[in-house]
Amino acid sequence: MTPTQARRAEVNDAVKRIVALESRLSLAPHEIPDAEPLNGDLLKVNSLGFLGMLVRLEDELDVTLPDDLFTGRTFHTVADLTGVVLLAVGEQP
Amino acid sequence: MVTEILAATSAARDTAPAPGDERYDSYCTELARQLTANWDAVLAANAEDIALARQRGLGEPLIDRLQLGYQHLAPLLELAEQTRKALPAVTASSPGTPAFGQSVVRRKPKPLGVLLMIYEARPTVTVEGALLAVAVGNAVILRGGSEIAATNAKLGELAANAARAAGLPEGMVSVLTDGDRRLVRELLKRHDAIDALIPRGSASLIDYCRTASTIPVIASGGGVNHLYVDSSADPAVAARIAVDSKLTEPTACNTLEMVLAHQDIAAQVVTELLALGEEFELRLDPALLVPGEQVSELSARDDGREFLDRSLGVRPVADLAQATAHIRQHGSKHTEGIVSEDPLVVQEFLDTVDAAALVVNGSLRLHDGPTMGLGPEISISTGRLHTRGPVDLSALLTYSWVIEGHGTVRGKERGSAS
Repeated sequence: MTPTQARRAEVNDAVKRIVALESRLSLAPHEIPDAEPLNGDLLKVNSLGFLGMLVRLEDELDVTLPDDLFTGRTFHTVADLTGVVLLAVGEQP
Repeated sequence: MVTEILAATSAARDTAPAPGDERYDSYCTELARQLTANWDAVLAANAEDIALARQRGLGEPLIDRLQLGYQHLAPLLELAEQTRKALPAVTASSPGTPAFGQSVVRRKPKPLGVLLMIYEARPTVTVEGALLAVAVGNAVILRGGSEIAATNAKLGELAANAARAAGLPEGMVSVLTDGDRRLVRELLKRHDAIDALIPRGSASLIDYCRTASTIPVIASGGGVNHLYVDSSADPAVAARIAVDSKLTEPTACNTLEMVLAHQDIAAQVVTELLALGEEFELRLDPALLVPGEQVSELSARDDGREFLDRSLGVRPVADLAQATAHIRQHGSKHTEGIVSEDPLVVQEFLDTVDAAALVVNGSLRLHDGPTMGLGPEISISTGRLHTRGPVDLSALLTYSWVIEGHGTVRGKERGSAS
């Protein structure tokens, strides 16, 4: 696995862990498909949870994310969210 | 900035009058007065936040939660009045009890000290935090969502004005409107200056506070709540209780997620639930599926899940033991209920199930401070220390033991005291 692939996998895992926590589900990252809707039968990601999600992502990935990372954007799936975080940490989704 | 805020709040904590002082009564009244006189200014500040939120593309459901209107004022004034009325009882010392020799001991309420409240959106929480925490003598730092920074700044100004008018020290209420998350991280490390942390909001925020800080946390965790329906229960009564437990506020922490119905009457409970004709999504165990009805099948991942919508699951169980095992494995120790006409089964349920509240033959939504007659609450705690259930005014206090010796000495036992 190249460093870029490893970083993408790390971001993908972190995002999935946090959306599982936010949805109050006991699921491992690999149990959540990339195409899983953020607000569907499985996940319930409440857009009011920005502060908690951002501080946890920053800690897990050791980065500083912009305040408006999640605002003004439309997310449908886990992959959408992962893509935005990848861009913010300087990786191509 | 953190240093200045903590210096001010520490000074306020050290100079604030004791709980029960009449200045706290005045503070409640003054805060109500400030809110009433300046509500238009609060709404103007809120309109700034809303305009910015729309500009940044926030969705309408979120904007709805950020927005204040005239309809929000009356409940806040009522809260201030209820808090004021509750103060004498909650701040009174306990009666003295005779102890060793001539000594008499009693508990004298003391504030927890400096409280840090971190929460997301909902500007009314700013008023609740400023009111309840300070009314019993705490100094409070309020860090709300950055989406309502202007609203919070205005509400913080009004609370500070109220404290000043009541004769309380400066620094009793500080509102942190800077959205920089580094400030939050810095505050979470200051266990030397902050006595308790009260997060309110998303699961990730509460989990972050619990794991990233050594400051004691009063956490309001989510509610994965169950209702066990015993074979002795009236299925119609059980269905009515289940529906009330779910639909009166489907995303609340005290809402019902899963009915565990005794297998002898589980099918009847489902029939009664469907007969009520309410708008909810019934998710049934495969053994209970009803052909032709608008229901869906429960999956294994639905066990232990907080649906956060109008979904309600039903699983059959062989007996109370299986129900309690399920609750132990999947529950969040928030609110658990039983419907039963058999007092022995009820007693067994109360003995074996552990949660902040256990409800017998009633709606899980009864787990609420004002509804329980406990007065105003700031959240519901699922922790074990130091408070559990509704975090009311008494939960924002600790106490000192007062030992009135009347000249009593330990004598020969003196050396054994540590």
